[in-house]
Amino acid sequence: MRELLLAAVAQYGSPALFGVVMIASLGAPLPIVLVLIVTGSLTAQGAMSFGTALLAAGTGSIAGDMAGYAIGRWGGSAAIARFAHLMGGSEKMEGIQNRGRRRGGLHIFLTRWLLCPLSPFVNLVSGIAGYPWLAFLAWDTIGVLLKVAIYVWLGNRFSDRVVALDSVLGNITWGFLALFVAVYIGRALVKYKRTTDYQKRLAG
Amino acid sequence: MFGYRAGRHAHYMRWENEPIRGWMSIPFIAHAHHVPPETLYGAIGLDPQKKDRRPIRRIAREANRQTDDLIRQLDAAISQIHPHPKPPGSKDH
Repeated sequence: MRELLLAAVAQYGSPALFGVVMIASLGAPLPIVLVLIVTGSLTAQGAMSFGTALLAAGTGSIAGDMAGYAIGRWGGSAAIARFAHLMGGSEKMEGIQNRGRRRGGLHIFLTRWLLCPLSPFVNLVSGIAGYPWLAFLAWDTIGVLLKVAIYVWLGNRFSDRVVALDSVLGNITWGFLALFVAVYIGRALVKYKRTTDYQKRLAG
Repeated sequence: MFGYRAGRHAHYMRWENEPIRGWMSIPFIAHAHHVPPETLYGAIGLDPQKKDRRPIRRIAREANRQTDDLIRQLDAAISQIHPHPKPPGSKDH
């Protein structure tokens, strides 16, 4: 599958790039960073212009993200009820919705280019949380353009080392993700300890 | 752990040749290895004038050949032009 997608982008250029990036943005586990790096290499070879790459990958990514958001936003109460069950009940779901509304912009922006594996989940949650679609589109566009520009530029700069560059960037992305999860769990533990200490004091 | 692995890959990036994969086209491989595409077209028996952008997996399938065979031929053609670079710290014997 991975080889098929990369071959399609290398052979057919921007239409294939648009399609692959859109499907990946919907949540399909596709090697999107490698696809963008290969696109950068194609720009260095003169097979595609930087502007075309930015337009095709950018619009594809935004279309996929907006589709994910729309599923969350307008997916209906049945879908939201199903997610509520999966995410620990309606109270937790309400908490996710409140957090989504409060810090949605930052989460949307960071998951576009730094914590890419989380972006389909954030699209869905932003929709479920009822985050304003225009603000979602604005943050999404800024983050997506930054992501595409960074990876395509890196692919252009290291156009003769795309496979090795993908390994380096993959490890950096997963490193940031591991750090993010560690900080999140750490904060949750500290909050839990404070709550239990407070309850003990009240009981005592 | 991820930082160490990223650093190690980045360190060896300069010294390792880009591996040839089935999804790569001849112009792509030529660019990655700094060799003229005509040399690579010739190495696998294609007309250099046609500027074929098919991936080598597809070239192999349509020619009823194994992709690995084509990769070996391309590697051999590249090695004739650029002998493999040595990593830092290695000694000549």
